[in-house]
Amino acid sequence: MALHTLEFELETTSGTASIPAPTHVGVTGSSDLEVILEPAPAGKVAVRIVTPVTGFDELWKRVVKKFTDETALAGARIEINDNNATPAVVLLRLKQALTQATAA
Amino acid sequence: MSNWKNLQSRSFLESSARDRALGLVDEGTFTELAGPFDRVTSPHLALLGDAVAFDDGIVTGVGRIGKTPVFVISQEGKFIGGSVGEIGGAKMVNTIKLAIDFHDDLVAKYPDLSDAEKPVVVISFETGGVRLHEANAGLLAHAEVMDQLQKARGKVPVIAVIGSKVGAFGGMGFVAAATDAIIMSEFGRLGLTGPEVIEQEMGKEEFDASDRALVYRTTGGRHKYIMGDANFLVEDTIEGFRAKLVDLAPLPVADFEAMRRIGSPEKVEHQLKLVALAAEMQPKDAVDVWAKAGNENAPGLLDVPFAEFVGSVKRLSV
Repeated sequence: MALHTLEFELETTSGTASIPAPTHVGVTGSSDLEVILEPAPAGKVAVRIVTPVTGFDELWKRVVKKFTDETALAGARIEINDNNATPAVVLLRLKQALTQATAA
Repeated sequence: MSNWKNLQSRSFLESSARDRALGLVDEGTFTELAGPFDRVTSPHLALLGDAVAFDDGIVTGVGRIGKTPVFVISQEGKFIGGSVGEIGGAKMVNTIKLAIDFHDDLVAKYPDLSDAEKPVVVISFETGGVRLHEANAGLLAHAEVMDQLQKARGKVPVIAVIGSKVGAFGGMGFVAAATDAIIMSEFGRLGLTGPEVIEQEMGKEEFDASDRALVYRTTGGRHKYIMGDANFLVEDTIEGFRAKLVDLAPLPVADFEAMRRIGSPEKVEHQLKLVALAAEMQPKDAVDVWAKAGNENAPGLLDVPFAEFVGSVKRLSV
């Protein structure tokens, strides 16, 4: 019943991109999510996801890995409050957060 | 962070709570307090297994308009309908309290401060009231906000801005009514029991919540402006609302007292006259009241372009 919290780390070996400043995007609306991206030393991306949905832990890991691979992220802390967003929406919001973080 | 200049021309209706808070005050002056990075989320929702938000659906902070310090509260309708729970409620209460304390300190230190230099509170409502998942805490928060509004009275003007999707309903409809001045856009909606709840409780014959025209001519900005429930009607842009705030912010607190719709024996007298008029007229629709106010083209009043409407509409006086 309680909220599901998923925490994991992704090793990043080849990434070069970093987060210049802490960034927040999105609203935990229905089928949506909010993301906090924070700077962290290169080498790993730490992820914390809070969601009402259970049973998709592997899918979450794949989506975040796709994001870090595609954006060549070297190090970051990602926190997500999710409200039943689809993987495509998750990926879009993560990319939006990174765009906003690097534009600031 | 959104770009302040780009925000100005944006539809207020479609703007997020944070963009509204940012855009209503002067460029670059907004500082968020208890924001998403503080991660104060609702403990009740987590227990129930419902999604939480880093800011609990309310943006609070402080900025400036001209010389006036502006304490801003902005509700996010996309997060559980902008409902007010324990955390969001505490953020509202303490923002108003902060404004009052700041005012008292400032006046004690600088006794000959001009009106323009004294703080105001701006609340951008987008809510149906109490969050039912944490109803006791939410109700208590409503009472505490009311308490702060009373404490602010005669010191710190509280201005309501209403023009977001969800409108201002439920307990927060009461709170909005208890502020000093109300600015609405024609897409803003204000009331106590929202359309869906009326339909659910009283049936579709009583109120058809899917009838958008009915909803807007009963709760919408144009109607509220004619009735005197809203003081000002502005265009649906952030700069539209902001321009009105720029006008209001430097005014002396006595001017705000005059804008109130409730809160003194005279105002009660006036409200009772409206009740008597309703009893005498037995209006079947808002249009009947618009005609009574002296509008010849009452049935077509919702279709008149905004500028023409504001320029020519006759408001109800009793």
